Amino acid sequence: MTSLPQTSAGPVPLSVVVLDPAHGGADLGARGAGGLRESDLVLDYAVQIRAALERDGLRVLQTRQGNEDPTFDERSAMVNGQRGAIFISLHVGSTGLPGAVRVYTIPDFLLSESASAAPPGNPTGLIPWRQAQVPFINLSRKLADLLQGELALQFRGSPNTAQTSAVRQLRTVAAPAIAIEVSSVTKEDVTDLERMGPGLAACVERAVTSFRPVYDASQMPAPAGTR
Amino acid sequence: MPRWMRWLAAMLAVAVVFSAFSLLRLRRREREMRRNAQRSEEQAIRELTRPTVTPSDVLTKAELFWASADDPQALAPVIIELPLSKEPALRAKQVLNTLLAGPVDVGLRTLPADAALIEFYLLPDGTAIADFTEALSSSMPSGIQSEEMAVESIERTLEANVPQVRRLKILIHGQEVDTLAGHLDLTGYFPVGSAPTPASSVPPGAPPSTLPSVPNQPPAR
Repeated sequence: MTSLPQTSAGPVPLSVVVLDPAHGGADLGARGAGGLRESDLVLDYAVQIRAALERDGLRVLQTRQGNEDPTFDERSAMVNGQRGAIFISLHVGSTGLPGAVRVYTIPDFLLSESASAAPPGNPTGLIPWRQAQVPFINLSRKLADLLQGELALQFRGSPNTAQTSAVRQLRTVAAPAIAIEVSSVTKEDVTDLERMGPGLAACVERAVTSFRPVYDASQMPAPAGTR
Repeated sequence: MPRWMRWLAAMLAVAVVFSAFSLLRLRRREREMRRNAQRSEEQAIRELTRPTVTPSDVLTKAELFWASADDPQALAPVIIELPLSKEPALRAKQVLNTLLAGPVDVGLRTLPADAALIEFYLLPDGTAIADFTEALSSSMPSGIQSEEMAVESIERTLEANVPQVRRLKILIHGQEVDTLAGHLDLTGYFPVGSAPTPASSVPPGAPPSTLPSVPNQPPAR
């Protein structure tokens, strides 16, 4: 998988959300002392977020439904094959202020690294696979900030602004893409983390609702003379 | 009992006794091999973490970045007097080995206690290649924030003490790996010398601000 086709078609409003419960299979992700496994918890979060988004009429896909472990590229391929889609990767960390939630997009240096690696003029009309996130970064950051704002109100200790990090999964996604990380598996009471699910789902739902007009506007052709 | 059966029984008994002895010997050998492997691994780590000291080293105030005692979600500089070489690659090894050794408060570590630096190279263009043992990846607490802090502590420590370093490549046991511990992309280079910034939001319809080649709207698919 080295490139993505750039085909021209009409504008498509936001209608699909791909949820990515991270890890799975033999990869359990972060593990807590009480046997808590990140791979199980994020799947549980995904189910709750899915229900909230479906109530708003969105089609929701999951990169895994059970204990499978698709590769990074397989997860990206699932969203890259959709039109009018966004991608949300779900994580629970090993560290961080318990109960806080952070949202990430990829940093500028990864984008400029990708851009400098691209062939000049892009004569093939294809987007290199590792550069897939580049055209979407502004939309990704808008979505990240909307969601981080909601999370800061809902979960104490969450930052007000979204962060950047070289998250491998996001790099190959050709759609607005963010990663959410809940802190953390060190929480003594597992039920505390489980109880965060409904609040997390409500925050994602509100952020996606606010983001829909932004996404749809970005799909409209620019007025003549502006480009 | 016919004679042939007596012979067969005797042969079976001998085979059982022989197997039991062999099994015991095999178990003893396995235990020995495991002990030797552990010894050689400990030896290798001891050699890797042996202080890199040269006669020309000068006692210098080095700035190392571990988790902050006030805010463990952030890094804070700690000033330590260290004998440091004037040769940049050697100096980088010395500060990274001290960073790996960890702060006085072990709760503020950013890198796994059993990780070690195997080798450090500095190319003329400022590209640094830091090759760590497998433990940097396998013992790293999984998570975006923990992996980000680990790499940032290496970047900022190099930035503060080895100004020749412009960008950093991290290898694990001489190999390029996909991620540090499942999240952070290690296939590229990390810039050294530019502090990380929060993601800046761009108002809808605004032109791209940082990347002239990047259109603000996704290509129609």
